[in-house]
Amino acid sequence: MTVQARSSTKRKQLDHDEPFTAFDESVNMEMLSDEENGEDVESDNGDVDEFPEIDEESSEEDEIYLGEEDEASGQGSDNGEELDIFPKAKTIVSDITSQEKRVYPEIEPEYDSDSSTEDAPNRVGDIPMHWYDDLPHVGYDMDGKRVLKAARGDELDRFLETVEDPNSWTSAFDKKAQADKPLTAEELDIIRRLHANENPDANYDPYEPLSEWFTGKGKEEIMPLSAAPEPKRRWVPSKWEHKKVMKIVRAIRQGRILPNKAKSTSQPQFYSIWSESSSSHAPPLPAPKPPLPTNSESYNPPEEYLPAEEEKKQWEETDPEDRERDYLPQKYSALRLVPGYDRFIKDRFNRQLDLYMAPRVQRVKLNIDPDSLIPKLPSPNSLKPFPVYKSLQVVHGHMARCISVSPDGAWVVSGDEGGVVGLWEVNVGREIKKWKFDGKIGSIEWCPRTDTCYFVVGTEDMLHFLIPPNLPPSVLQLTQSTLAPSTLPPAPETPSPVKWSTPSSNTWTDDSAILTVHLPSSSGLPTQITWHRRGDYLASVSIGGSQGAVWIHQVSRRHSQAPFKKVRGKVQLVLFHPMKPYFFVATQQYVRMYNLSEQKLLKTLQPGIKWISSMDVHPSGDHLIVGGYDRKLCWFDLELSDKPYKVLRYHTRAIRSLHFHPTYPLFASSSDDGAIQIFHARVYNDLMTDPLIVPLKILRGHEVTKGLGVLQVKWCNRHPWLVSGGADGAVNVWCS
Amino acid sequence: MASSTTSCSVVFTTQTPYPLPSQKYVIPTSWKRYHFSQLINKALALAKPIPFDFLVKGELLKTSLGEWCSDNGIGEEETLEIEYIESVMPPQKMSDIPHDDWVSSVSCQMTGHFLTASYDGYIRCFDYSQKVVLSTLAHTAPITSLSIIPESKFASDEDESSRLVATSSHDLSAQITRISLPSDSTPKSESKDLAKLILHTAPVSSVTSNSSGTHLLTSSWDTLIGLWDTSVPTSDEVPEAPINERERKKRRKLNGGTNESAIKRKAPTMVLRSHTARVSRVVFGNAGSENTAYSCGFDSTVRLWDVENGVCTHTITASEKPFLDLALNSDGHTALAASTDRTVTLYDVREASSSTSISTSSGVLLHTATPSCLSTGATPYQVFTGAYDGAVRLWDLRSMKSAITSFRAWSGIKKVLSIDWRRGMVGVGGEGGFEVWTAVEDIHS
Repeated sequence: MTVQARSSTKRKQLDHDEPFTAFDESVNMEMLSDEENGEDVESDNGDVDEFPEIDEESSEEDEIYLGEEDEASGQGSDNGEELDIFPKAKTIVSDITSQEKRVYPEIEPEYDSDSSTEDAPNRVGDIPMHWYDDLPHVGYDMDGKRVLKAARGDELDRFLETVEDPNSWTSAFDKKAQADKPLTAEELDIIRRLHANENPDANYDPYEPLSEWFTGKGKEEIMPLSAAPEPKRRWVPSKWEHKKVMKIVRAIRQGRILPNKAKSTSQPQFYSIWSESSSSHAPPLPAPKPPLPTNSESYNPPEEYLPAEEEKKQWEETDPEDRERDYLPQKYSALRLVPGYDRFIKDRFNRQLDLYMAPRVQRVKLNIDPDSLIPKLPSPNSLKPFPVYKSLQVVHGHMARCISVSPDGAWVVSGDEGGVVGLWEVNVGREIKKWKFDGKIGSIEWCPRTDTCYFVVGTEDMLHFLIPPNLPPSVLQLTQSTLAPSTLPPAPETPSPVKWSTPSSNTWTDDSAILTVHLPSSSGLPTQITWHRRGDYLASVSIGGSQGAVWIHQVSRRHSQAPFKKVRGKVQLVLFHPMKPYFFVATQQYVRMYNLSEQKLLKTLQPGIKWISSMDVHPSGDHLIVGGYDRKLCWFDLELSDKPYKVLRYHTRAIRSLHFHPTYPLFASSSDDGAIQIFHARVYNDLMTDPLIVPLKILRGHEVTKGLGVLQVKWCNRHPWLVSGGADGAVNVWCS
Repeated sequence: MASSTTSCSVVFTTQTPYPLPSQKYVIPTSWKRYHFSQLINKALALAKPIPFDFLVKGELLKTSLGEWCSDNGIGEEETLEIEYIESVMPPQKMSDIPHDDWVSSVSCQMTGHFLTASYDGYIRCFDYSQKVVLSTLAHTAPITSLSIIPESKFASDEDESSRLVATSSHDLSAQITRISLPSDSTPKSESKDLAKLILHTAPVSSVTSNSSGTHLLTSSWDTLIGLWDTSVPTSDEVPEAPINERERKKRRKLNGGTNESAIKRKAPTMVLRSHTARVSRVVFGNAGSENTAYSCGFDSTVRLWDVENGVCTHTITASEKPFLDLALNSDGHTALAASTDRTVTLYDVREASSSTSISTSSGVLLHTATPSCLSTGATPYQVFTGAYDGAVRLWDLRSMKSAITSFRAWSGIKKVLSIDWRRGMVGVGGEGGFEVWTAVEDIHS
């Protein structure tokens, strides 16, 4: 035993000594590699943060560390420097064998302790930890005492921790330890590898060098494996092959197999490609030829081709696609001074585009001047006179809903929603007289007769006939006798629901109506009064009354009749034709034209307006304009179709009122946008010529109040002046 | 004369009584109106400095001469002819007399008193201390125009405070009223309606008297112009219109029991008919040529009348210019007519009377609002215009591009309906009442 032991120690010594002396360098290298491995192991157990790198100028501690590692790896070191660090073997004489033996000191376990042997405080073992979720503790320690859960902050604290701690996103909650444990670099590396579909083992090397055990250089088999002689079959021809071949030969001889069967060469091998008749397609267009170089492209062009400074600047400022040519002429005194062509690639590329992808047909861009699409209209300046400025303003206390200008064009009556009717001069704007009625004034209209002078005011269920002051005696007398004749005409046979009443002549005053027409009760406010041109008939349209909305009154007979037994739809407006016994009735969407004498429907005009608001007929009687609350203005040529000749949409809000000038070729439209638009509307006697409509002027000056703008516009007779009443209570006179 | 600054040679002309010897001056181009004015004052060695304004080629010099030259593209080599006129001081408000109603016509003709006619039918008379000395209801309808009839023959034997006034009204008539202002002999003011001029069948737009006070002209909306003498008839020349009982009763009530026969109904001596629309203004020619009358109307014409024979001698036709007012300047060569297209147009009436050629306007004064009234002064170059925007502007007819000066009567936009410019005062009547402003002294009157 002792001998064996001794010999073993001796062998150990030998083992120690031999590599040291023989393979000094190689061993060193081995050690280095071992050290690295050792390091890896160490880092597995211990600190995780940093992968310590070995560098030449490492500190003493590192060297100590290295030394210890050397010790751990079991390689003894006889290096002089490290003798004092490594445990030194003492040579003593054994008591038993009385031989010398080396004795090493006891290994102290502190520095090399394994963490796996540490006592975890929690001793619950490998159980699902969620069993403890509802409990205040997480298990028991070795003494059977409860291990309490560590206090954890609320969500906000956790969030702040995640913000402050840069490692928080790589840490996980360990339920057993009740703490956040950061993942080690190894674990992170494993996660990364799994994520990248790599082998999770970091040490696995898929490209290990092939260790050649059996083949390779120096391992060729030189000696045969057996000494048996070569078999005969190696050099005797095969009998079975012979049989096969003979079978084929026989088949050939019998003609069952045709060897070298002639290939079907029906197509000639060579043919003239030009001899083919051309296909039905148009031949492909030839590729565009690159343009020939011009003088200015020369490297040494004449001076006149060189651009001036401003031409250069202009060329640089324009976009590349807008440039007339894509280069700037440059001058070099000699060809050898010409630099490399910097646009070569671009040029070749463009040429390829030309040849391959770009369209072969040059498409001519359609250059249309947008101005040429606008119809030629005469300039507004050549169509003077028309109103251009606000000359004066008369202010009412309420919405001035209705206005009317006297037939001689000198006076205006305007009625407002407060029941006040004012009479004033067009030119001065001074109110001469004022009448007050109960309730709103719905409509107001002068009688068109020139030998008499009066106007009609429509209030709730009533029409009042008023005479302005300061009339010449003859006119006054005629007016009075017209409205209140001394001998009343005989009452009609059929009693009418409309009552005509005149106060007795003793009680006549300037302030009260000389004649009042009582419409049937609950027929509502007459929104429109319109006169026949002769001034004997007037028609009134009331809102509210379902049946008797439209009445035609005859002043001379003091009689009223309802022209329609039954009206389809709600009547908005009515109009007398200025020449013929025709009568226009506008319902919400259609305008119907009746012949009053024959009592039949002539036409139904379809303006295509949702809700008609206004209508006027041209003084010639052949044209009608219709305006709607949906901003459309339709011009009808009554000789032509039922559809509008022209639809104008110039207003931004609902159209409120339209009026043709009696003598000038003008019409005006007013709208809730507070603007009045003046149009030139020339109508030709020649049937072949279409009417000419030219927008002339937008007059602004009314304020929009409660969503309502200009409620009515009326022209002055004899002058191109316009009177407009607005929702702001102002009545404006616009002069040319 | 060589100077470092650029200079310009200039010849001064004038029509003022302060002529300079005709001589070429070399003026630095940086000079402005003030420098020129000082130059002339120094050159003439005037005892009292008179401010002058300068017209270069019919334009008032407002900038320096150099700027004017560069604006108008005139080189420095050219010799400029500069006319100088006496400078106009900006008008100052003297008094403000509010009225209940709009004032349609004013007159400053009487020394010491102002006469106003209002839309409520009253004639009012104020002395210079803004006190009402007379207020009389002349018409039941608005008065449109007022004219004082001069009475030279009565001046000696009758009281100076008694005047004849002609008024025209919306009630289709004009009227002659004698007003007596309080004086030493009669402490109370009186008024007496003398005659009603019955012709027109529409509101009478204007009435005017000639300078000798012998004749009146009325114009009306019914296209007629009436010529009347100023004598008060002893009896009604025109029979009462056949009016019914009711009217008569009302009239009696209105007159308040006064003797109705005191007002005589007078017929015109002549009726001038040629206008085709409302006649808005008729005026006599200036003193010396009173056989001529001028009228303007809504038919865009200015007509010249031979009053003796009652024929229209010439018609100046404008295009689409309804005329609102007409005035002759003091030399009687030019008629100014205000129209609703915001212009005051000048017509040379000498040319018109001499030949029948197409008369064209010789100048236009552009306004920003409707010019409603005109008043010319003693100098033939100056005219005041009143407009519906409340501004009263003074124009010099030699420089028509812009007004020389303007002032705004009343606050806010109130229409000016009548102005009268006499003796350095401008009476302005209109929507806001009556105001008096000092203005250029009429040196010749």
